[in-house]
Amino acid sequence: MVLSATTDGGQRSIRRNGSFGYVVPALLLIAFFFIIPVLMLLMRSVLEPTPGLQNYQELLGSTTYLRVFLNTFTVAGLVTVVAVVIGFPVAWLLAIMPDKWSRLVMAIIVLSMWTNLLARTYAWMVLLQRTGVVNKMLISLGIIDKPLALVNNLVGVTIGMTYIMLPFVILPLIGILKSIDPAILRAAALCGANKRQCFTRVLLPLSLPGIASGALMVFVMSLGYYVTPALLGGTSNMMLAELVAQFVQSLVNWGMGGAAALVLLLVTMVLYAIQLKFLNPNRVR
Amino acid sequence: MLLDFDKLGGLKPFLIGLTVLVCLFLILPIVFIAALSFGSSQWLIFPPPSWTFKWYQMLFSDPRWLWSALTSLKIAAIVTVLSVILGFLAALGLNRGTFAGREALRALFLTPMILPVVVLAVALYALFLQLGLAGTTVGFIIAHLLIALPFSIISIGNALEGFDKSIEDAAILCGASPWEARLRVTVPAVSHGIFAAAIFSFLASWDEVVLAIFMASPTLQTLPVKIWATLRQDLTPVIAAASTILIAFTILLMVAAALFRKGRKA
Repeated sequence: MVLSATTDGGQRSIRRNGSFGYVVPALLLIAFFFIIPVLMLLMRSVLEPTPGLQNYQELLGSTTYLRVFLNTFTVAGLVTVVAVVIGFPVAWLLAIMPDKWSRLVMAIIVLSMWTNLLARTYAWMVLLQRTGVVNKMLISLGIIDKPLALVNNLVGVTIGMTYIMLPFVILPLIGILKSIDPAILRAAALCGANKRQCFTRVLLPLSLPGIASGALMVFVMSLGYYVTPALLGGTSNMMLAELVAQFVQSLVNWGMGGAAALVLLLVTMVLYAIQLKFLNPNRVR
Repeated sequence: MLLDFDKLGGLKPFLIGLTVLVCLFLILPIVFIAALSFGSSQWLIFPPPSWTFKWYQMLFSDPRWLWSALTSLKIAAIVTVLSVILGFLAALGLNRGTFAGREALRALFLTPMILPVVVLAVALYALFLQLGLAGTTVGFIIAHLLIALPFSIISIGNALEGFDKSIEDAAILCGASPWEARLRVTVPAVSHGIFAAAIFSFLASWDEVVLAIFMASPTLQTLPVKIWATLRQDLTPVIAAASTILIAFTILLMVAAALFRKGRKA
């Protein structure tokens, strides 16, 4: 009786097909509403309005769109560099500081990360406007005498995006820095390395894979961002994701929209492939 | 010594100073919005000339805000339930399965999370226009389910990793049917993973903007779509009030999650 429970039909059939049945509902969802629509969109880029590569020629050949690409890569690059330069020291301190304090800092980081994206972007729209707090503060400190244009340009986008991306640099780096054995640095110091050498020759090289991996992730995420650039950048400083949306929403040009989407998709996939192949800190071996 | 907090020497004030500045950078905009939502200035002058509740009154007296919040809540709730069920099944299959290509499948399930969401939004929008699902609740739920599911698969998958399958087998040996064993032994054992999956799925839908912009119609708007549409017109303090409520909601969820974790440890 007891044994028959493990060998009854239902149980055996599950064992036989290796539990594949369990993943079927999720697989159907992904196939019908992810793989198929994305492929269909990409098809339209070479089929509409007429079959051929003219959409790609136009996208990659005109200076208007070239500027969009330039904006996208400049902002993503700037955001990545600033976020890493600021984020690394913070992660460093968080990795070694007493728990009592690091918990408070972590709570602040997580709170900002979980706060609604639109609420955070709205905050920066208000803070950076001509009569906003940032301009007022800079004037009262005597740094500038006329308000600076900080929104509706790439400066605003960069500030807003750095704000959003900082947690994505800091959080993974904490783990990487915690995994470095402090004894290695003590050994370096004992062998006569000064502080600067300890940092540049030991700590930095050991954390470099983590930094590179975090930086690449932030770069890729920034490339495809839509909401923050659209609200802080204004219409004349478009980025790639906005271009995709604009082709579809306002211009109803599915061919060009599909082409721009493919370029964005391709860049993202290539960078992720690099990440997985070379930089994954959790990689076996 | 660079990794010993007490032996940092001259670096210590530098690192602490920078961390304090970063904390202020991260927290002040949020505090600022909350403060402005009670300020009387239409032009968002800070510090506000006087304090008022009028933006909250405007928010709550406009049925469109309330309606969009209810729409958000409804969609997020349905997405949460579906995401946890599909995620549990998929994680179970990936965890227990012996079929080929499991790793590739896991990667496939997680791709909607890492792909630029605007690409997914545009692609789904095109499909839904053809299927007649554009601007419908069903379309909304499918779109949000796609980005919520990876969170469920990760959270529940991690919990299943730490669960010993032989306990479930023991229940079956004691006479439970396989599904009875799964529901009454495995599900309670991985409840922390399910709880995390539910919270992440809910937030993934509740906070989602980009897919929502494409799925929305004039009569079907979630709260983020309503905020987005209003923001494109002007910076009215009513948005500060709406944002503050969202922030309070987030803090509430964070505290709930923290208490839940604490309760589990004790």
